Amino acid sequence: MRQNKLIQLAIVLPILLATLSGCGFKDIDKRFFVVAAGIDRPVNNPNRYLVTLKLAVPSPKIEPGSAKAQVESVEASTIAEAVRLIKSRVDKELDFGHCKLYLLGDRLSSQYYPDAMDWISRRRDIQNVAYIAIGRPDAKTVIEMNPPTERFPGNTLFLQLGKDGTESAYIVPVFSFDFIRKAQERGIDPVLPIMNKEKEEYVISKLALLNKNKTVATLSPNETEIYNQISHHMKKSTVTATINGQSLVLAVNKISSRYRIVKEANGSHILKMKIYISGIFEEAPLGVYSSNWSKLEQKFNEHYEAEANHLLTKIQQAEVDPFGFGLRYRATHAGSDQTWKAWLSIYPQLKFEIKANIKIDGTGISD
Amino acid sequence: MLNRITTLFAEAKDLNTYRMSNKEMVIEIAYISSLCDESKVSDFILVPFQKELQPFDDIVERNPQFQIIQDPAMWASIILRGFVLLSVKGRIYALDTARIIRNETPATQVETAILGPQLALSEDMVDSINIIRSRYPSPELAMEEKTIGSMSHTRIMILYDNRHVDPNVLSEVRSKLQSIRIDFLNAAGQLERKLSGKLGLLPTIIITERPDRVANSLQRGKIVLLLQGTMFALIMPATFYEFMHAVDDNYDSFWMTRMLILLRYFGVILTITMPALYIAVISYNPELFRVQLAFSIAGSRSAVPYPSFIEVFIMLFMIESLIEASLRLPKYIGSTATTVGGLILGQAAQQAGLVSSIMIIVTSVVAISNFVVPVNNMSISIRFMKYPLIVPAIFFGLTGVTVGIFALLCYMTHLRSFGKPYFRIFGPIKAYTSDIGQVSEE
Repeated sequence: MRQNKLIQLAIVLPILLATLSGCGFKDIDKRFFVVAAGIDRPVNNPNRYLVTLKLAVPSPKIEPGSAKAQVESVEASTIAEAVRLIKSRVDKELDFGHCKLYLLGDRLSSQYYPDAMDWISRRRDIQNVAYIAIGRPDAKTVIEMNPPTERFPGNTLFLQLGKDGTESAYIVPVFSFDFIRKAQERGIDPVLPIMNKEKEEYVISKLALLNKNKTVATLSPNETEIYNQISHHMKKSTVTATINGQSLVLAVNKISSRYRIVKEANGSHILKMKIYISGIFEEAPLGVYSSNWSKLEQKFNEHYEAEANHLLTKIQQAEVDPFGFGLRYRATHAGSDQTWKAWLSIYPQLKFEIKANIKIDGTGISD
Repeated sequence: MLNRITTLFAEAKDLNTYRMSNKEMVIEIAYISSLCDESKVSDFILVPFQKELQPFDDIVERNPQFQIIQDPAMWASIILRGFVLLSVKGRIYALDTARIIRNETPATQVETAILGPQLALSEDMVDSINIIRSRYPSPELAMEEKTIGSMSHTRIMILYDNRHVDPNVLSEVRSKLQSIRIDFLNAAGQLERKLSGKLGLLPTIIITERPDRVANSLQRGKIVLLLQGTMFALIMPATFYEFMHAVDDNYDSFWMTRMLILLRYFGVILTITMPALYIAVISYNPELFRVQLAFSIAGSRSAVPYPSFIEVFIMLFMIESLIEASLRLPKYIGSTATTVGGLILGQAAQQAGLVSSIMIIVTSVVAISNFVVPVNNMSISIRFMKYPLIVPAIFFGLTGVTVGIFALLCYMTHLRSFGKPYFRIFGPIKAYTSDIGQVSEE
């Protein structure tokens, strides 16, 4: 009896296991790791896809400049077909497990991007924590570039976009899970960082605003910083004001923001936002220590309020909502379709009332 | 009597049989000279018999060291245990004159502790009991003697604290000892295997040479078995936690010893799972690594001609043979094995492209973290446990390893050590407390 049970177990367990196991046995050295993938629309053939993959060529030595990568790009009518065609050109099995960056070409994202995102969100081996960005002028040029001091292929990309390496107020990294969520949710719209190729460097300082189908506007580096401050409370950023022809720069120590959507007596809606920032001078004329700080703070406030108001109005005019005001409205009102329709009519007329409260903590090490 | 004894024994040079007479009587004595202390024989028997200061039958009757033997069937076994058999006026007496060659109570070698007692148990049971009694001066210490082995007649001693021992465990131990069928019992490990079943993956009885561990266990209501002829004691029941617990943990700095306990658990997990995880991650789920590691492994593996599991088998074979060789070699050339194996083979195997450099690290982690287990019989059982996990890893990858570990955990939680749950990590088994002692075996 006991032995029977053991035999049953010995048969059932492998069968169960066999149904659970994913991809087959393939050693790590028989795999080609894709470190970045780009999806473009070719110039002369706007209905087809141009898929570019950057494949890492592993080497046991990791030294600056030793990174070697192979770039393959193929044009096909679908993304999946293009990837299969690339597979037929390389000697090892493609593995997207370490692909941390998916670049959408500028042309693709300004036409219609959901098809490409569909492919990214469906494949099992594509990580949800991969970054999504827009490549300018197209994804292929950005991906083909090899930064000369890279230690291993793709490292520059990972460090630049992630929080491990540089942390810049102009870079807003977007994870694919976040992007996919925002691309489907009513009341919040996705943003994507824009990667430019300049000489042998990646330049990421602008932000694209997208609606559910395509790119609709681009934020300048300055606007990107303010977006990052309001939305992500990015601390490694600055606040600038020009006072008497001299520009003063404050390095942010603390930042917080909150907002309410208030219905006025006349039926119109106002978004009241409060932003608290405190920081230390990084650039200021000598003698700023003995001047009147509250006046300086006042100037900073005015300046910041104007800039933020300009940003919010620009976003509003582009008819997108990357801050998720609509989601807030839906969350705080009855959960019916009526609410959503109401918001659609409120948002274009929404007025912004921004109160900045900037505090100077100190003047840095010199007076 | 002498005729009967000479027919019982094969022709043996050291079997001494004498018939002696003085003015009053004739006695017969028989003993095996190699087992006996001849000076004792002469002091207790020959000299008083010849001097005739007192009638010899009177001496024999009054001295309690002379035991009357009623059953002639016992003669052979009594003589073989180093007793002198003597027949005085038709009565048969036995006198213990055994001379046992043993190691002089040695320093601990298998289970060392830095700040703990350095004396180990002795190969002679009486000496061991002496050591234990002096560490455990309690009137509650009970001892029962039994003999196991149809040929070896190995004497074993059951020690327990009368008040703290759990009667259920005690009766289970007694009945298990009763049911043991074995010809020769030579070592503690043999008895352990007989008591807990030979197919068990993990030991449920601690084998130790440390008298302080024995005393601690007695105080916690455990049962200790001592064997004549080995310097190891068996302690039961035991939990997994106690195998992970070195005696030092009670002697050294509190915080560091807690760290060390954690480290041991961590080491055990590593040594069991590392080879399987290596296969699973290298061949099925390389996305588990960070990118840097994945690339450097892929780079160092690209010269390796065989799939990952062959690589693992090569290295495991090498490390296991190294351990085995350094155990088997005579002490004088033992260090050669480690030098040749560890330095030359490890480095060369990687340079020859037979294994990847990461595999060398995996192998050494597996070997070293195996040795952090303080109790030797657990360490050896754990040494085996990595192999069953490799099989599902080869065929099913990470899923297989997960299922394998789950099955292992199921097995461990299912285990019982003499009726006590085995895999309880929090808290050792509590001592049984009662105000009166246990009823002794009828």
